[in-house]
Amino acid sequence: MRKRYIQAPGRSDEASGLRFLRKADAVDLFFVGYGLLIVVLVAASYAAGVFRLLPYDPEAVNLGLMLAPPGTAGHLLGTDFMGRDLLSRLILGIQAYFLPGLLAVAVAIVPGAALGVLAGYGAGRADRVITWFSNLVDSFPRLVLILLVVAAFKPDIYFIMVVVGLTNVPATVSLVKVKIRFLREKNFIEAAEGLGLPRRTIVLKHILWHHCRASLIIRATLGMGEAILMETSLSYLGFGVQEPTPSWGNMVQSGANYFLQGNFWPSTVPALAILLSILGFHLLGDGLNNLLERKAVH
Amino acid sequence: MSVPPLLNIENLKTYFYSKGRQAFIRSVDDVSFEIRRGETLGVVGESGSGKSVMALSVMGLVGAAPGVVAGRIGLKTDDIRKNLLQDLDDYVERVEADGRVVEVRKDVVGWQKNVERLMAMVRGKTVAMIFQNPKSSLNPFLSVGRQITEAIRLHTPCKGKAESRERALYWLERVRMDSPRLRYDNYPRALSGGMCQRAMVAMVLSCEPSFLIADEPTTGLDATIQSRIADLLAELKADLGVTTMLISHDIGIIRRLSDSVAVMYGGMVVEYGPAGKVLAAGPESGHPYTAALLASVPDERNIRGKEPLQAIPGDVPDTIHVPNGCRFYGRCVRVTAAVDKECASLLPPLSEITPGHAVRCWLYEGS
Amino acid sequence: MNLKGVKPVARVLAREVAVTAFLLLGVSAVVFGILYLAPGDPFSLLLEGQTSAGAPGQGVREALGVPKAWHVQYLSWLAGMFRGNFGASIRTGLPVLEEISRVGLNTLLLTLGSMAVTLLVAVPIALYAAVRGVNRVSFPLTMAAYVVSSLPVFWFGYVVIYLFLHTFGLFPVASGGSQGTNRLYLLLPIVVLGLGNGTLSEVIRHLREEMGRVLSEDYVRTARAKGASVWKHAFKEGFLIPVTEIVASKIPFILGGAVIVEQVFNWPGMGRMAWQAAQDRDFPVIMGIAVLAAVFVRAGSLLQRFVYIAVNPGASRETVERRAA
Repeated sequence: MRKRYIQAPGRSDEASGLRFLRKADAVDLFFVGYGLLIVVLVAASYAAGVFRLLPYDPEAVNLGLMLAPPGTAGHLLGTDFMGRDLLSRLILGIQAYFLPGLLAVAVAIVPGAALGVLAGYGAGRADRVITWFSNLVDSFPRLVLILLVVAAFKPDIYFIMVVVGLTNVPATVSLVKVKIRFLREKNFIEAAEGLGLPRRTIVLKHILWHHCRASLIIRATLGMGEAILMETSLSYLGFGVQEPTPSWGNMVQSGANYFLQGNFWPSTVPALAILLSILGFHLLGDGLNNLLERKAVH
Repeated sequence: MSVPPLLNIENLKTYFYSKGRQAFIRSVDDVSFEIRRGETLGVVGESGSGKSVMALSVMGLVGAAPGVVAGRIGLKTDDIRKNLLQDLDDYVERVEADGRVVEVRKDVVGWQKNVERLMAMVRGKTVAMIFQNPKSSLNPFLSVGRQITEAIRLHTPCKGKAESRERALYWLERVRMDSPRLRYDNYPRALSGGMCQRAMVAMVLSCEPSFLIADEPTTGLDATIQSRIADLLAELKADLGVTTMLISHDIGIIRRLSDSVAVMYGGMVVEYGPAGKVLAAGPESGHPYTAALLASVPDERNIRGKEPLQAIPGDVPDTIHVPNGCRFYGRCVRVTAAVDKECASLLPPLSEITPGHAVRCWLYEGS
Repeated sequence: MNLKGVKPVARVLAREVAVTAFLLLGVSAVVFGILYLAPGDPFSLLLEGQTSAGAPGQGVREALGVPKAWHVQYLSWLAGMFRGNFGASIRTGLPVLEEISRVGLNTLLLTLGSMAVTLLVAVPIALYAAVRGVNRVSFPLTMAAYVVSSLPVFWFGYVVIYLFLHTFGLFPVASGGSQGTNRLYLLLPIVVLGLGNGTLSEVIRHLREEMGRVLSEDYVRTARAKGASVWKHAFKEGFLIPVTEIVASKIPFILGGAVIVEQVFNWPGMGRMAWQAAQDRDFPVIMGIAVLAAVFVRAGSLLQRFVYIAVNPGASRETVERRAA
């Protein structure tokens, strides 16, 4: 199978914008595009849920129309085992993870960046201590730790998401630390200090904003994806949001029994929503990573 | 020319492709020369002139695509007679316009498999190569001795553990490695750059290849070590007489070790001949680039007299936007009105000015 | 501690073990801390459980007396654990360690089996992509890996069960299907967790990147130039180390996934026990499982470090630390 290489006739340097597009992998752009689409959809649906702009009342039971497949009688995505409209419940289910997910991300990034700066910028001892704490947090499987917390405190989803965020702190710390080490090797920090810049400016403006910004955003998108997975897994297991309040996880769980009998949709609709959303955040993070980070390194 | 050529490169073209600019990077653009048995050919040129790519093309180690697109590399030793680019045309199609390749269709994967097959019994055994950056060229996870004996066991009849160890130690001594027995068990990280290069030389020579390619063997080493390695190479050359292609941008080492010299510029050979003749190029003789290159190397007189360094005006040639005429035209200080038009628009051929000495320059045409 | 006389490698190994021990101490502190901060006094329940589960009798009971200072409670709990006494389950009253070891093997099987499945799928794809780059074979596979990694494993499990039922027509075990189908059914959770633990695309990416990087290293080029086997030279840095690295780092995720998969398949393992314990607020059990899970994670990490040190010649402290970051 032969590959074709063609010298384009009379090519001259074009405006850098177009050049960037040609170089950039179309794939990564597709990733980012799809990811952004998902983000917009999720945010819009969340808003719809908040304002109750739903096709049906998500709690309206309709025993005459149980387990209806998608498209039946105006129910776009069908109904569940109690005849409740799946689409409405799906939209409402976003509330279970949206704000809590943002909280998890905030908890992961803010202290994470701060500790990362401390570890990377400060004395060796701070680095060793923070590394030890990072390894400590990483020793727990997230779900097991949350089960422990659930057993102890019977907490609400926000508390749980704080814990999820904390378990993601080590990743952020290592990210910032590596960046700082990179900057140190390039004598960037030495130069900035030599110029007499106050430490706060160096850290906030130069290190975090200019150099870490892209990576942190990427971390945030991946963190959101993980938060969705966590929340849905927990509500599947019966913790977190309880019936009749919908959550994508508990929707899958309640539809599970009927799945094996051949009624796929009540479980599959929320599962596909989970899949497409997590995929969206995942691809967004990876696409941004390839576009922004790879370019910067070289 | 009673001595047959050991290596005969004909019209070698090795191109890379830039997706961003949708153009070919013509690293080696129609290079031809030959090396006779027992001879050391020095290949000189700036970075980017295509010297290293040419060496990698001979070894079949060109990684990026499309890679080698045209040419013939004839290897003739006592045991082997083959074209290292055999059947290349079965895998490549070239489309030309205005005498220049503008499209290439190549079965990259298939060609690579073919090259591996062709080079299987050649690499390390008949043709060997040492590289720049000897420290990173050795496997950091294996001891130096292990790497040498690996080569020995692959390419010589010496298969036993003890036998190959003895042979390795012999060669470590031969390359004047200090404490060979200690160094045998050391890992590369314990050795300095110079010692690593000695180990590399030991590794390749222990298999007694017919042909050695040395790609910038002293570049990257400390200045004092450079001359020591040059000493070593000179000594080995006198002792063993291995046919060598020595690539370097260091004129000093080229002068010291070469019998013949090829000067490369912009992917082409611009001058070729006996070392004495080529390296004597001056403001009136030889290729203008060679003369300028030699003049730019400071010698005692410059330094003592505190004369200004003679740099070559202009920039390194662009191997993407290749000009129509002579590639050195923009930087040449010897252009006369008589040849100006030709220099600007036509590529001069490589032609002999005296037997065995060829120059690619319009100043010497039509004489 | 002056270990100058001991061989450098042994020193490094000892240091690794010490760090791990110290980390596990931290783990116990975290677990203890969570329970200590919990409302209601779960801790005394725990301690009573520890004493009634086979520790020396009356004397200890008296010595305990609730409430005590937190460090005393912590130390006595810790001491109990070292003696193998993790307390007793609030639900069943049986010693926790006994309970866990009854089911721990199942989870171990599940975890190790699923790791093997993940590698079985990831390695060929990663190696192929590393050598051949992006082409019409590697690209769809990489894309598929992304999708598979985003699948909610709790749904995926049901899909697989359904497909299994329909291929074989009946529910094994229950209606006494053939030995073959029964055994096959046992493989299902392993396959599901292996594919659905969400780490597939990262594993592929890590392995592909590392192998790709190593294949373009100078020393691999030298190996090619001397006619040696490229695989042999690239193996250590391009395969062995990245595989152990990524497996060790993904163990926590796989254990988390095991909790869910055990639910879906009703697999009697530590994960399902943890779920039950969280529901019942059975502290001793959940604490024991948390500690053991962390031990497993750290054991994996330690093993990976051992491999790294074994493969790396004269690995100095510096090299080991650098790799840790």
